[in-house]
Amino acid sequence: MTAPTGEASVLGAPLDSREDPQLLRGEATYIADIELPGTAHMAILGSEVAHARILSIQTKAAEQMPGVLKVATAADFTDVMPLPCIWIPGGVESHFPPHPYGLPGARPVLTGDTVRHVGDAIAVVVAETPRQAAAALAAITVDYEPLPVVTRADQALAEGAPQLHEAVPGNLNAYWTCGDKERTDAAIAAAEVTVELDLVNQRTINSPIEPRGAVGDYHAATGEYTLYASTQGPHNHRFLLSALVLGIPFNKLRVIAPTVGGSFGTKGYLYPDMALVLLLSKALGRPVKWVDTRTGLMNSTVQGRDHRQHVTLAGTRDGRITAVRCTSHANLGAYPSTIGPGVATALMGRSISGMYQIDAAFCEVYAAFTNTVPLGAQRGSGRAEAAFLMERLVDRYAAEIGMDPAEVRRRNLVPAEKFPYDNGLGWTYDSGNYRENFDKALELAGYADMPARKAEARTRGKRLGVGLATYVAICGVGPSTRMSQEGMLGGTWESANIRVHPTGEVTVTVGSASTGQSHGTVFAQVAAAELGIDPANVQVLEGDTLKAPYGQGTYGSRSYSMAAPAVALTARKIRSKLVRAGAVFLGIPEEKVVYAGGGVHEDGNPENAKTFAELAMAMWYGWGLPPEIEPALDETTHFDPPDFNYPFGSHVAVVEIDELTGETEVVSYTAVDDAGNIGNPKIVLGQIEGSILHGLGQALMEAAEYDTDGRLITADLTGYALPRAADAPFFTLGKTVTPSPHNPLGAKGAGEIATVPPAAAVVNAVVDALSDLGVQHIDMPVTPEKVWRVLAGRTAGTGGTGGTAGTGAAAGTGTEGGPR
Amino acid sequence: MDLTLNVNGLPRQFSAEPSELLVERLRDGLGLTGTKVGCDTGQCGSCVVRLDGSSVKSCLILTAAAAGSEVTTIEGVSGTPDGPLTGLQEALRQEHGTQCGFCTPGMVMALGEFVDRSAATGGEDAPTEPEIREWLTGNLCRCTGYHSVVRGVQRACAAQATARQEG
Ligand code: FES
Ligand code: FES
Repeated sequence: MTAPTGEASVLGAPLDSREDPQLLRGEATYIADIELPGTAHMAILGSEVAHARILSIQTKAAEQMPGVLKVATAADFTDVMPLPCIWIPGGVESHFPPHPYGLPGARPVLTGDTVRHVGDAIAVVVAETPRQAAAALAAITVDYEPLPVVTRADQALAEGAPQLHEAVPGNLNAYWTCGDKERTDAAIAAAEVTVELDLVNQRTINSPIEPRGAVGDYHAATGEYTLYASTQGPHNHRFLLSALVLGIPFNKLRVIAPTVGGSFGTKGYLYPDMALVLLLSKALGRPVKWVDTRTGLMNSTVQGRDHRQHVTLAGTRDGRITAVRCTSHANLGAYPSTIGPGVATALMGRSISGMYQIDAAFCEVYAAFTNTVPLGAQRGSGRAEAAFLMERLVDRYAAEIGMDPAEVRRRNLVPAEKFPYDNGLGWTYDSGNYRENFDKALELAGYADMPARKAEARTRGKRLGVGLATYVAICGVGPSTRMSQEGMLGGTWESANIRVHPTGEVTVTVGSASTGQSHGTVFAQVAAAELGIDPANVQVLEGDTLKAPYGQGTYGSRSYSMAAPAVALTARKIRSKLVRAGAVFLGIPEEKVVYAGGGVHEDGNPENAKTFAELAMAMWYGWGLPPEIEPALDETTHFDPPDFNYPFGSHVAVVEIDELTGETEVVSYTAVDDAGNIGNPKIVLGQIEGSILHGLGQALMEAAEYDTDGRLITADLTGYALPRAADAPFFTLGKTVTPSPHNPLGAKGAGEIATVPPAAAVVNAVVDALSDLGVQHIDMPVTPEKVWRVLAGRTAGTGGTGGTAGTGAAAGTGTEGGPR
Repeated sequence: MDLTLNVNGLPRQFSAEPSELLVERLRDGLGLTGTKVGCDTGQCGSCVVRLDGSSVKSCLILTAAAAGSEVTTIEGVSGTPDGPLTGLQEALRQEHGTQCGFCTPGMVMALGEFVDRSAATGGEDAPTEPEIREWLTGNLCRCTGYHSVVRGVQRACAAQATARQEG
């Protein structure tokens, strides 16, 4: 790892975000704000029922409505290929009807025969105005022949369950495993102590505040399509849509991501609307625009989490964990989304052992189809589900052996000298100092004072609980070959281009695309630090496939550990070219050239020098350069790291439960995260804070609830609770810094990592607060009602819900039937 | 029906459907797209504007009901399109109180009223953190976790108090 040679003050400095003023003035252009001349407006008819054969669709009335330009159904798009799924779990067959290009097909752009979830796209209307399009939608009638519905993965796999896809018998998309089953089973059988839990990691909805949208614009004269979309991966969408869906040449599609109003994973997926606006723009000869509603988003944008798990941990009486095992039923929804199956398997399963050194570990996932919205990524995806099960188990184990949960954790953390550390589940952790990180969190949280705080809270009618959670989050997706072994169909490298203009200003273009992470600020810092110039001189472009080099986009907290290294390496190419050319311009041998402050000078003779601006102009002219040095400064790097990176951290939640109402209040929250070297701490701080609240949301209030008919009953923001400003106090944050050896910046993922542990920390805290009632587990979201029932059960004399040692007993889960 | 609205200091005349929402008029009719639509249910606050000084959710008000009123949108808060950032906007910038920015115009409008009110009390008592969080309850943000926004409001109120003492 080479340190940047530029001004140390630029990289790692909390510079103000250059994006913010425009956002604060409301001047940024989001998808709904794009109005091309002649735009027509599209509305999508989603299925009203969760599972049915479509007998007929009557569109006549809609066609005659005012302003209607076109009504289309599946029959209009028979030559369009299905949307593909590009991440099927590695090593297993997908069992899904293949895509013409040999990929697993995910779903058609419009459903013609069988609908499989409420919101499944059946028909579209294009009209002069959005109101007219919406009115015409209501005039379409669909005759459904209802089919039986299943919304839970475990139930979908049961004998006699409704079948979703003919080609997928038993609804099983994949049975996926990692780790060593025999060794784990043996360790569990031989253990002094075992604990088990049945966990529901409930389905949640990311809910970026901006709903998705798309504008298609086809130019007949050139045969070129332009798609404006709320996407976090314009290049990826260009590739998938052009080659794999529309069947048009790659260079005929340009994808532009305008300002994107949050994503958290959901806007990286391929959705029918993206293809539909392009196809209809071509059909109508006008730009076609579609903007989703909140309810539409909730019924069609990928949802997250949704595992039902039986988990077991084995250990010794003196607190050494010897094995962990997880059997999970993952709910993929009605279709495999672009990368959903990989999220539900590899991202989760390989992460379950977290920060602990465990001899034997095994995870198996049954990934099943159900009549629900397709599953996808969600801030912290996979890793949050893994941390939840492991951290719940550790607490359960600590209670079982009567040891302080902090002490159990400390005894099992992977020691600093063990890195790189193979976790036995498929990940090799790059670097870490877990003990330092964990102790810092306990110290910052005042862990030693908790008994006194508990006693004090009792005097106020409150039960105070403390919950710990640690995590390792795989980030920096990724090494392309490694990802191909995981079943990812496509490269996962990232690229950057730097052009130095004759006047000395610099333009950086990257394949990544921000959804609110101030890329323009941070990438400018990286380039400026490497080149030794003022960041104000660096312009950053991204989000437009015509302007930027290729790249996969922003997901899995990869931009700073994938795109920023590409920027740094490109800047180093520029620098080294300037050193070679500098030797020519200064008339000295290359070894005597010193690069500093953006310019070059002769070692020991600072008078013989050229500034950055002088060099830029000289390179632009190209006069006097020898043939081996090309004129101009324009370099590109494609960065494919040797391996992933593994940020980690330790969080401490303190909650108070009201004895009378059962309400859980997070009264303090401490997080110490390690994301390696950080480019801009002000920007990372914001991401950490937002991430923690997102995690608290899952613990306390968020849940996508389907009724038995498969209707999403939380399909708007009155039914689906998102955390609001009053739902948490300020957080206490600290950090440790363990650089990753896998990229030239020593960076690790940061954006979403702090979403990984809060759910576990809060549920651990709640269980701690209720432990004297015999409560061993409580399902998320921990609503006041659930807790109140536990408290009421006690006062009514029905006893707690504690199980016998070794089994998990869910307190007031409110879900029908048992897991598994 | 024919209506008049005063928007950002200018009288605007137009004819509107009785069922038209104020947010539709502002965004689609008047091209003031700084006001955002994030939900269908009046829950998110992305569409907040000031109506005769009070912050309101423009997706919950019919244009007709606002007729004759003074409407201020995010485009109007700086007086002119390229006017300086307000004290609140500047404080939010310094605290990085925005990420994707989609919730931001609504927050600036809603918090603008809060900061004005705090000034109106003479700024004697700096608003408490719970007061700020309470005021923000009608505005959803998924990115920031609200902390930087709350710090921004604290900073704006403090700057206002200092300015008053000095002035
Ligand atoms: S759009 Fe008005 S409150 Fe959400
Ligand atoms: S900044 Fe993205 S929703 Fe608030």
